[in-house]
Amino acid sequence: MSVLDFDYMVGLVPILLRYLPLTLAMAAAGMALALVLACGLAVIRVLGIPGLNGVTLLFISFFRGTPLLVQLFLFYYGLPQVLAFLTQIDGITATIMGLTLHFAAYMAESIRAAIVGVDRSQTEAALSIGMTNGQLMRRIVLPQATRVAVPTLMNYFIDMIKATSLAFTLGVTELMGATQKEAAGSFLYFEAFITVAVFYWVIVELLAWCQRRLETRLNEAYRR
Amino acid sequence: MLRSLALPLLSAGAIAIAGGAQAQEETLKVGMSGGYFPFTFVEQDTLKGFEVDVMEAVAEEMDAEVAFVTANFSGLFGMLESGRIDTIANQITITEERQAKYVFTQPYVYDGAQVVVKEGNEAIGGVEDLRGKTVAVNLGSNYEQLLRELPYADEIDIRTYESNIEQDTALGRVDAFVMDRVSASQVIQEKPLPLALAGQPFSEIRNALPFRDTEADRALRDRVDAALTALREEGTLSEISERWFGNDITRP
Repeated sequence: MSVLDFDYMVGLVPILLRYLPLTLAMAAAGMALALVLACGLAVIRVLGIPGLNGVTLLFISFFRGTPLLVQLFLFYYGLPQVLAFLTQIDGITATIMGLTLHFAAYMAESIRAAIVGVDRSQTEAALSIGMTNGQLMRRIVLPQATRVAVPTLMNYFIDMIKATSLAFTLGVTELMGATQKEAAGSFLYFEAFITVAVFYWVIVELLAWCQRRLETRLNEAYRR
Repeated sequence: MLRSLALPLLSAGAIAIAGGAQAQEETLKVGMSGGYFPFTFVEQDTLKGFEVDVMEAVAEEMDAEVAFVTANFSGLFGMLESGRIDTIANQITITEERQAKYVFTQPYVYDGAQVVVKEGNEAIGGVEDLRGKTVAVNLGSNYEQLLRELPYADEIDIRTYESNIEQDTALGRVDAFVMDRVSASQVIQEKPLPLALAGQPFSEIRNALPFRDTEADRALRDRVDAALTALREEGTLSEISERWFGNDITRP
């Protein structure tokens, strides 16, 4: 219809910047909690702890098998109808909960794969020189597994940052919510959504840069 | 996470401070999408619109505070249902299905289905001229249903769109589109498209505030309803409508 309204896009930047910390905080909190949970789940799976293993399988099956939006609606709108006290949970907490459980299910499998992927001869060699199980995990298996897991875990973190844009359906005005509302006031949908797309893109690119540096460090021992 | 912890602490502090001076003020929690110009929208990070002004006036009349909660439209009824908000101010049309579940205040907006054509299209002067024409409606709106209820419905080629019905009518891909009168007038005013209203609205739509059907919420509904009556009588409702639309949409 007309050319891009650049002035409007520039004016939008400081407004959207105000909502950036919330988006990043929700993703960071979700990632930290998901990592802890995923490590626990992965260990249960690797060791095949009886009883817990079945529960873990069910957990992973459900949270990987249903859409994140369905899970968020379930926590925020569904469960409070059954358990009244859950009405106390606010949108931000519900979003972090949803992100944690959803992504932990995926990450558990990728951490498990990384642990299982460490060559068996490494374990045998470590045991042959008299390392204890703890030493074996801490010094031999986990450092090698970390190197393998980092790229896939970063993938999930990137996905999680973008998944925070679902929080507006729970009444949390984050980056995407703020953009949607501004766009409705100006009718400049194209400009508004292009601007927010660039926001996400830049965040993810910065992360990708961090990832490359981290990978270089983790690969130092393998450099020829 | 931090904010979710800080907010209750802060508000607890605020209540404690306010409690010293006066009795704890009642807060009316109102949900809206913030994405429906000119009823509820955001400009420069400030929530504005017809609904915002009406609810602020209602709260003042009730001697209460008002807190607006914005969420995607698809989340609003879930918030009402789970008790996170008291009502929704987002041009909620009274329908039989909704009346079976919720209790409504009196209507505070009277609207109608409106036929809109490309400027200069003299062939269509209203809904009775749609026979043999191609008509666009938005997916999920109740206008498709309204068109299908017309006695000559089978002679109308109804096309459902996800968006951009205005653009396609202006381009001449369809002969007309149908949406509510207020939004249609607004689109013609705000968007640089060659469109015109064709005839009078052909079906009445009444918008009101829904509340949960419980004893406490019915009591709240009655007080909000009384506030609306008072605002209507003193002319405040008409005044707000004139300010946003240039005419009074709050009367039938």
